[in-house]
Amino acid sequence: MSLEELAFLALALVAVGTAAAALLVRELVHTILWVAIFFVDLSAIYFLLDAPFLGVLQLGVYAGAVTILLLFGIMTTRKRIFSREAVTGIGSVPVALALVTFIFLVSAIGEFPQSETPIQSYDPTALSANLFGVNGPWLLLLGLIMLAGVAGAIYLVREGRD
Amino acid sequence: MTDLSVTGFLGLSAALFGIGLFGILTRRNFILLLISIEIAMNAAILNFVYFAAFPPGSSGLSGQSIAVVLVGFAATEVAVGLAIVLALNRLKGTINVARANELRE
Repeated sequence: MSLEELAFLALALVAVGTAAAALLVRELVHTILWVAIFFVDLSAIYFLLDAPFLGVLQLGVYAGAVTILLLFGIMTTRKRIFSREAVTGIGSVPVALALVTFIFLVSAIGEFPQSETPIQSYDPTALSANLFGVNGPWLLLLGLIMLAGVAGAIYLVREGRD
Repeated sequence: MTDLSVTGFLGLSAALFGIGLFGILTRRNFILLLISIEIAMNAAILNFVYFAAFPPGSSGLSGQSIAVVLVGFAATEVAVGLAIVLALNRLKGTINVARANELRE
């Protein structure tokens, strides 16, 4: 087993463990801490896949901004941020549905052939040329959706709606 | 033969998607719901990054570009979700989605 495989195995275990812990712990602030570790762990996986730009983006946007936004959401919606979440019964139907989806996705893995090439790494210049060239329309769409998101968010939180 | 197998990565993202789906179906707190959606979305982005590193066809660069765009989409979605959380909290005094049947005053 090579070093990369070992690193991936460790990172994958941490990812699954932290994602599960984030949804199973009862204190919301602990959830945020687990999910922050999950995001940092995924960025490490991106670095392992030789995608440093995405790794840094993951750290900045997810581990940085999204975590803080979620924490801010908790702080503004409750008086004591360390209060516990009420227990919600975990029904057997959602668990079964999630398991069926997981098994369905795993069963499709065999369709993909094992790649024979080494990891392809890209230079950030080539990535930005691709992002603003061939995939330019997607970036434009992202800009428009973000604008619509900002307008919608302001509409939702404004005071004195009628 | 590469060191990082397609089975491991697709298995990881299938597991993460399953965990996210489980959270979406069971949690009643809006913030936990948002976190579940983020976990499922990250599972999808991981696939794009994996197939960019080991492209089945000619160029995998588009995979990374689309992953960049998807990260932006996810961030927008969290921002709008938190606006809904704040509006819901002001109107109902709770962020339990089971009790949120309308957003108007």
